[in-house]
Amino acid sequence: MELAQERDAGTNVIRPAGRVDGSNSADFHESLMAALSGDDNRVILDMGGIDYISSAGLRVLLLLAQHLGGSATPFAVCSLAASVDEVFRISGFNQIITVFGTLDEAKAQLA
Amino acid sequence: MRRSLNITPVPGAAAAEALPRIVAFVEEMAELDDWAPDLVLRSNLILEELILNTLTHGRTTGLSDIEITLESGENSVAITLVDDGAAFDPLNDELPANTDLPLQERSIGGLGLHLVRSMAEDLAYRHADGKNHLTLVARSGV
Repeated sequence: MELAQERDAGTNVIRPAGRVDGSNSADFHESLMAALSGDDNRVILDMGGIDYISSAGLRVLLLLAQHLGGSATPFAVCSLAASVDEVFRISGFNQIITVFGTLDEAKAQLA
Repeated sequence: MRRSLNITPVPGAAAAEALPRIVAFVEEMAELDDWAPDLVLRSNLILEELILNTLTHGRTTGLSDIEITLESGENSVAITLVDDGAAFDPLNDELPANTDLPLQERSIGGLGLHLVRSMAEDLAYRHADGKNHLTLVARSGV
């Protein structure tokens, strides 16, 4: 899965696009893990380009959050589409993963 | 409009290979009957979770066919799933979704069915004629 990415002073912003479902979630996981670096001070996943996520995609986000939690690297997601926000709320993911409305807010507040 | 799609599990094939057909089926119906975008997303999510659940969770014993029927309603779509696999009631699944546990203790088990039960309305299950029959309604804008 194609991911856009930018690094700025230790902040790793990863920007996936498209659908995340059971047919590409393994690929999504692999791409996300490859986008991480041991030098990251914090990681922001900009979900603005994702309009569909199923439990298969949530599983990948959980693994990513747990991986980063294991190294105490601050992690947040931002810019959730309404459909993705709904899935986050129903699954309780908004209680275990930090969610910001915009990328600017995430950059300003994630510590 | 009312339309059906039949999914035949292919032994050895990844369950997720069925997904593109389901998505194409939903999007074709959505375009013909002018569904709202959120109705398309919810219908896709409900179908993905239920069908991958049926195809992947060891209930494929004797499973040769899953029939998906969609019927457009007023800002809603009625979904009927009939399969000839082992009897399983997804509305009374024993795995509770652990949506309150902290991050490091969370696992993903049961979450797909939790999404379905939260997002769909009028859910009903019965086992009849050796088949699982599940009906539910996806609605726009709620």
